[in-house]
Amino acid sequence: MTDTRSMSLPTMSRSSMFRLARTDLAITLLLIAVAIALPFIVDSRYILGQIVLALFYATIASQWNLLFGFSGIFSLAQMAIFAFGGYATAMICFYFGWNVWAALVPGALGAVLFSLVVGLACLRLTGVYVALLTLAIAQAMYLLIVTDTECFVMVGSVCRQFTGGAVGFARFGDLGTRALLKTHWLVGNYAIISVLFAITMLFTYVIVKSPIGLAFRALKDNPGYAVARGVNRFQAQLLVFGISAFFTGLAGGFYAAHFQAIGPGVLSMSQLMFIIAIVVVGGVGTFWGPLVGTVVLVLADELMRESGEFRTLGLGLIIALSVVLMPKGLVGRFGDLVGWLTRRRAEPGDSKPTDSRIVQSPPPTGK
Amino acid sequence: MMSATARPPVLHLEAIVSGYDGLDVLKGVSLTVHAGDFVTVVGPNGHGKSTLLKTISGLVPLRGGQISIEGQSLSGKPHETAMLGVAHVPQGDMLFAQMSVLENLLMGAYLAPDKAEIKRRLDEVYTLLPKLADRRNQIASTLSGGERRMVGIGRGLMMGGRILLIDEPSLGLAPLIIDQVYDVISQLSKAGRTILLVEENPARVEDLADHLHLLDDGAIVWSGKPAELMVRDELLATYLGG
Amino acid sequence: MTDVLMAILVAGFTSGALYALATVGLSLVWGSMGMLNMAHAAMLTLGGYVAFTVITSLGLPIALGFAGAILAGAAAGAILYFAIVRNLLKNDKSTFEANVMIATVGVGIALENAILLTYGGQPLKQPVSIAGVLRIGPLTLPWQNLLIIAVVVVMMVAVSLALGRTRMGRAIRATAQNRDAAQLMGVAVNRVYLQVLMLSGALAGICGVMVSSMTQLSPPLGNDPMLKAFIMCVVAGLGNLPGAVAAALGLALLESFVQYALGARWGFPSLLFVVIAVLIWRPSGLFGRAEIRRM
Repeated sequence: MTDTRSMSLPTMSRSSMFRLARTDLAITLLLIAVAIALPFIVDSRYILGQIVLALFYATIASQWNLLFGFSGIFSLAQMAIFAFGGYATAMICFYFGWNVWAALVPGALGAVLFSLVVGLACLRLTGVYVALLTLAIAQAMYLLIVTDTECFVMVGSVCRQFTGGAVGFARFGDLGTRALLKTHWLVGNYAIISVLFAITMLFTYVIVKSPIGLAFRALKDNPGYAVARGVNRFQAQLLVFGISAFFTGLAGGFYAAHFQAIGPGVLSMSQLMFIIAIVVVGGVGTFWGPLVGTVVLVLADELMRESGEFRTLGLGLIIALSVVLMPKGLVGRFGDLVGWLTRRRAEPGDSKPTDSRIVQSPPPTGK
Repeated sequence: MMSATARPPVLHLEAIVSGYDGLDVLKGVSLTVHAGDFVTVVGPNGHGKSTLLKTISGLVPLRGGQISIEGQSLSGKPHETAMLGVAHVPQGDMLFAQMSVLENLLMGAYLAPDKAEIKRRLDEVYTLLPKLADRRNQIASTLSGGERRMVGIGRGLMMGGRILLIDEPSLGLAPLIIDQVYDVISQLSKAGRTILLVEENPARVEDLADHLHLLDDGAIVWSGKPAELMVRDELLATYLGG
Repeated sequence: MTDVLMAILVAGFTSGALYALATVGLSLVWGSMGMLNMAHAAMLTLGGYVAFTVITSLGLPIALGFAGAILAGAAAGAILYFAIVRNLLKNDKSTFEANVMIATVGVGIALENAILLTYGGQPLKQPVSIAGVLRIGPLTLPWQNLLIIAVVVVMMVAVSLALGRTRMGRAIRATAQNRDAAQLMGVAVNRVYLQVLMLSGALAGICGVMVSSMTQLSPPLGNDPMLKAFIMCVVAGLGNLPGAVAAALGLALLESFVQYALGARWGFPSLLFVVIAVLIWRPSGLFGRAEIRRM
């Protein structure tokens, strides 16, 4: 696997890697500042609630980006894995009476297991076959839950299906913020989900920059070469399915806990499309793309909410147009712009690299 | 016969540059093929022989220089190049594998103006390659290597173009079959067809080609009659491994 | 017992015929241009609604309803080509497969929603229907099902003649089998792509009319047949037309048997198990040629 590191290095000089890391660090610090400031600025419950929802979207999208953008696996089971994590957490609490916090990690591990099964089924497939199979799996899961009518337990006089049926699960516990913070519980949940998002992004960053991440990318860009250089395709593919599922499933658990409910609605096609739209608009295969896409699409969604019924239509058009007009997403477009500006600035003489300054600062994250 | 200068050459390449991704494979190749000529480009594998033909027919985009067919400059689109009369018999045949021999030949006549012309060309091909007539309903993927090569050539002839580009017709065939293939090509040349052929081994075209170019590392390093090359031991040793 | 068996067979063959039509449209586009058209479902729905408008709102004969569905589907295919596909083909080829899929997902959502906004969400009755049954001895066959099977058979024959016997059809097949070689023969592949998308759109339009005549018109009409058509394409191997028809019939019969034996909700999962089993055994589908990917 160390070979993959050396094969990718020539494309990026050492100094430019440091410069990238510095930019990432600057963005991270800025985001942390914004995240801390937000609850003090925003006093609308609705807006804060939407921000929490957006953080969930960003988390799911970042993990789909890890699968598709960085590893080239076009899985459409992302929301199914999210739902699995949510359902597993809710069901553990509902049937065994566990505290939500205790059920989160087992729920996420359940999602990992599910994802590994999906990954195994996809192991020998490529491209669209993966997409079709994962879509079918997600749809089958949705249909099986929605059409579940068999009584599993009786809750009072109400019949309850094992999977919760079309209704899903509710009132199985929460994150404890209501008891602790009373009316400010939403701020507490916001803080928790922010931390979840931050940890997810940090891990994603480490993975992307590590030899494993390079192996993923090598498999995506040139599978034949990567395999010839000793990358184990099966291992790498299962690994990326597993890692992304852990955070996706964990987000699912937190989602169920935050809303104190989970139902088959999260498995709907429109939810999956929203995640795909986020990544496509933000920039497939870019680290910050999912976050940028979330901000843009959630804002666009809110604006279109005003015009009510045209929301879905607008969303569809946004997806189609952004693929056609900016295949590398907003982050890619921004990168083009920055590159163009730097070239323009560099042209009049001053082309001396500022290496000394860069080498002094240690790389902040990653290797 | 008219002098070569009175009419523009069938094919003229002027300092063409082309390649894949970031790499230039052809680095300024110029050559001319006149009507009725049999011109051969020889050279070691991987030095741009196939790329040369693909650039002419438009499968590989031209990055620099100019290509013209009878004085008319090419658009770079393969189907428009075909309309101008460039018939490319590609390396490895590239047959339509699930189609019958007849359908493959008919695809060659895709641009033919009418049914009568198709019939005329088909008769011509069947006369030259009688085996194809016997196998007309066989699916291309089930043919032997030699038969496939013949279908490839036949399909190129069905195009009825002004110039035939033939890419390594000996590739992957047994020596006996190679002789048969070159026998067919020799007949075509004698019948007056204009041919640009690329080949790794100059000995195969020694008696056929009017003119020979040696292509190395994307540039023509030597041009002349085949017989002249065969006595230049140092060239043969350097470029063609003896 | 024979009644039940008969009912299962009739249902299986009818849905098999419908799936085959949807599958062929998808498979044709995949086979000739390497494009998975996720908007196929919405094009199906479009056909159904256009036929409804022509027949019910404009009061024109049913034949014109069919013609309207065909034209609308073909037009949708053409728009898809000019607005999306042509532009994506200009980009790097390695990104086309995924990008065109995502873009057509967007187009599909937009089209389905546009239909919802135009016609509303309430189910409408498709006027293309025949009441009554055909009795042959102990057998009772609903005319509606026979009509569907007949229309599908006619369409299949028309498609296979168009592909097999015409110059255009030969160019489409040539492009599917070897794009570069087709270009060398003088085939303008972009025009072939446009033709294929229009043909596939026309098939989707007809398929939409037929599907809605069995159930009702509603904006998500095309989603269920398309999802199943996906599965059938995968089982058959994408791009293989005769295989697609065989897989559609086989799986539809399996589905209706499973639905009878285990209940309706197990129909789709059983198809999924079949597809997973097939893919583990043969990753390019039952009849698919092993794809040789350039590395």
